[in-house]
Amino acid sequence: MNVIAMNVAAAKTVQPGTASPAAAPAHIAARGLAVDFTVQGRRQRVLNDINIAVPKGSFVSLIGPSGCGKSTLLKAMAGLVTPSEGEMRVAGLSPQEAVKARLIGLVFQEATLLPWKNAIENAAFLLMTADEKMKRSEAFDRAGKMLKMVGLEGSEKKMPSQLSGGMRQRVAIARALALDPEVLLMDEPFGALDAITREEMSECLLDIWERTNKTIVLVTHSIDEAVLLSREVHVMGTGPARIIETLPITVPHPRNEASYADPAFTAAENRLRSLLIESHRRGRK
Amino acid sequence: MTADAPALPWYAHPFWRGVYNSLPALGLSAAVLVVWEAVIRLFKVPTFVLPAPTAIIESLIANWRALAFAAQATALEVLFGFVLSAIVGVLVALVIVRFERFGRALYPLIVLFQNVPKVALAPIFILWFGYDLSPKILLIVVIAFFPVAIDMLAGLQSVEPSFVSLMRSVGASKSKIMLRVRIPHSLPHLMAGLKVAITFSVIGAIVGEFAGANQGLGYMIQFASTQLDTPLIFAALLVVSVLGLAFYYVVEYAEHVLVPWAPKFDPIHSAG
Repeated sequence: MNVIAMNVAAAKTVQPGTASPAAAPAHIAARGLAVDFTVQGRRQRVLNDINIAVPKGSFVSLIGPSGCGKSTLLKAMAGLVTPSEGEMRVAGLSPQEAVKARLIGLVFQEATLLPWKNAIENAAFLLMTADEKMKRSEAFDRAGKMLKMVGLEGSEKKMPSQLSGGMRQRVAIARALALDPEVLLMDEPFGALDAITREEMSECLLDIWERTNKTIVLVTHSIDEAVLLSREVHVMGTGPARIIETLPITVPHPRNEASYADPAFTAAENRLRSLLIESHRRGRK
Repeated sequence: MTADAPALPWYAHPFWRGVYNSLPALGLSAAVLVVWEAVIRLFKVPTFVLPAPTAIIESLIANWRALAFAAQATALEVLFGFVLSAIVGVLVALVIVRFERFGRALYPLIVLFQNVPKVALAPIFILWFGYDLSPKILLIVVIAFFPVAIDMLAGLQSVEPSFVSLMRSVGASKSKIMLRVRIPHSLPHLMAGLKVAITFSVIGAIVGEFAGANQGLGYMIQFASTQLDTPLIFAALLVVSVLGLAFYYVVEYAEHVLVPWAPKFDPIHSAG
């Protein structure tokens, strides 16, 4: 609780597009980050001058129109793309070092489960890959606990083909959590799910965050999702791709369905909507 | 098994359901055979042009010992050839994916080689290796490794990028990603390639025997044709087909056991 209160304080003082003042040392920090991709022989700037600071234990969303580079920013945090300029630090380390220290858990839009392994084997799979020396029983023990946390108790032996889309995504989350990472990076994890399942998954994720107090960065298209889950939403824009505003979300915790009616929720929702529309319009010009 | 037996009527048993499902195919085959026999008898077609089904069966029974001996020789060629094709195909795919630069050099050569009419190679192989097993096996390999290599390659490369990202996010090396994700992921593709390869292997064996052999079903077909013993040609063809079918189903059974997660092809319900 203490940490969360501290994070609220930190979130409130954040200025648009700048690093947060050192109330809490940033857990994930980008300074002047730029990423170039070579597309068909031409170098293209995908991200430009990104400054972002995610406090430890915070829940932060990246939202913006398609092609604004929000997934690329997430990949840069995971060390999957190399910045051309500036730097990215995760827990004071380079992303590559953070990967080695097993600080990072990833969840994608597709659950990407191995079809020849059942739920618990899938949940234990990355952990066993990361730590060769770990005993199978220990990995399964941890994977089982995580499956329980995501509400999949009793489905451990089911094959991916027997699970619904939402359940598969829960396994993917359990697989990331089994690594016990400090940072959970999620790229539109509920993007392929139907509205009701999304809702359930959001609550599941809130619950996980409150219980584990991990630093979570979520890339999403959904304004509702961003407001309900986050302490802070970074709105990204195109041409050139950058963060156009950082909006602290002041909806009180614990959050649940009732939070949608909170005046702070509606205010944040409206603000985000107008920012997104504006950024979308500018992107088309 | 016995516990749920009373709940199921006898015709719901998988065996009888299988019989029921194959009724249309069996019926059609029977109809074709009856018409065939009738046409031969009605128009008095000479046996050396087209034998009646009954004549073929007669020849099959009369020559069963020779046919069985020939089938054994051909089966051995198919078996060795197929196994070697599978090994070569898998290795080629692995090398192309693992050593990217070398793969880029190798791939066009393989495709080019694939366009050489392999039947034309048979005499050369006979010239090099003589009349025994090795030229047939070599011919089978050059015909049948290609579908294995191509399908395996497709399987290795069709792994979702997110899988690779996940593995990299826990610091897994390229070899580890290959071993843990890419290779198992490619198995259903590999099995599809093997199914094509096994039918190619039978063709390869027969072609190899045509080009020069002293035993085997292909040799027997050619020998029978010089004697105008058309019923024996058809009898040998029948044995070739049954042999090919048996090999095919062995591979399909292996697929069922080894990669139960592979997508199933259901010819009856695929249109639905």
